[in-house]
Amino acid sequence: MSLHAVGVVSGIAAGAWLGSAEAPTKLVTMGFSPFLISLGMVMGVFVARWTIPVALKGTSYVWADLQEKPHLIVWGVVAGMLWAVANTLTVFAIRNVGLSVAFPLWNVNSLIGMFWGWLLFNELRGSGAKQRLIVLGGATAIVIGACLLAYSTTNHDSIAQREAATLGVLAALGAALLWGTMYIPYRKAYISGMNPLSFVTVFTFGELGTVFALATIFDGGVTNVLDSLEQAKPVLFWLFLGGFCWVIGDLFQQYAAKYIGISRGIPLSNTNQLWGLAWGALVFGELAHMADSRALIIGGSLIMIAGAVAISFAEAPADEQRHWRLAMERECARYGLDRERVAAAVMGSDSSRGPRSPRHWWELLIVAAAISVFVWLGVHAERPSIHVDTSWLLVIAAASLALLAGAVAVLWKRTRFA
Amino acid sequence: MKQSRLKATLTDPHLWIPLVVLVLGISLLAALA
Repeated sequence: MSLHAVGVVSGIAAGAWLGSAEAPTKLVTMGFSPFLISLGMVMGVFVARWTIPVALKGTSYVWADLQEKPHLIVWGVVAGMLWAVANTLTVFAIRNVGLSVAFPLWNVNSLIGMFWGWLLFNELRGSGAKQRLIVLGGATAIVIGACLLAYSTTNHDSIAQREAATLGVLAALGAALLWGTMYIPYRKAYISGMNPLSFVTVFTFGELGTVFALATIFDGGVTNVLDSLEQAKPVLFWLFLGGFCWVIGDLFQQYAAKYIGISRGIPLSNTNQLWGLAWGALVFGELAHMADSRALIIGGSLIMIAGAVAISFAEAPADEQRHWRLAMERECARYGLDRERVAAAVMGSDSSRGPRSPRHWWELLIVAAAISVFVWLGVHAERPSIHVDTSWLLVIAAASLALLAGAVAVLWKRTRFA
Repeated sequence: MKQSRLKATLTDPHLWIPLVVLVLGISLLAALA
């Protein structure tokens, strides 16, 4: 299987799991602060990172990878900070304009990521006119879809609602800018030969630290935040669950960014818009109260998806891949990296030292502790008083699990999660 | 981290793009909160 196919499969799986991760933020309508919701989810992300990801490659592997490229720790932390601020903005956006509308708007981040990919990492350079036309056409479709969705949010009655909708749109577009820029560190790491599992490890420290700082500053200090967390304990499980889904989705997104670049990988993972729409409309019944805007929302979403699909089918030709290598060599020269090892890692070979990294007994304890946190929260969980269509929930969950199994099999067979 | 890599990181012009965007994002949050 080609690396392009591996990247495409990873991107599609990322879409499903990133979309599922946003559903728990619906809880913001229950009166919790947006910062607290974001903090709960990120705590879940942090804990979840020590379950499946640590079990896949082990802590020694990640440590060796980080020691080899310590300068990328800064980039991982900055990426985590960008994600944290963007995610908090999306909670404001969801509160003001709803998940089904906010989701597609912040997915404009793929357009921003594409720009950075072209400007900084030579993506789309050296490709033919047809390739450029497909990518530009896809990008234009994404913008048109976003405009339709933004227009649909103005169909409110009162001035107060219009102002709230405007702020919601602003928050969603701000999140798009931050997330689009977050892909700079992603690509930087992968053209330097870093493993996505190592990058995500550092990333989670950056995002947890930032979200905790934001919650402390905007929610009245550490004591207030801890008190609020205690009050939110019955719903923390759902936020942790969102964080768990997010870690899985983000790992796939990282693999997509690694193997097919930002310009192609991110639009593909942004099919999470489709999954977000499915969760919002089918499971939570969001569109039932927006009958007038329904056609615009669905039409805009479909146009955006068509654009993303067109971009994703445009496999990078040999000349463009030569430009990618130039960007990789630039990083090697700047940071004194071993060109051959980095080139092998970029092509899906494992760049860590030795055939297998040793596993330690205490790694099992870490995994067990992380799982115990989820179990403990699950025992104390209360089902939120939000209408949920169980049949659709089961259908969407089953589809997500099927994609997970398929993507894991492909990544393992072709790259051994390199 | 080696001194040369630290210097290369801090003088990497790419680093300033995410940092500036981060400041913008925090400012927007402050306005919304």
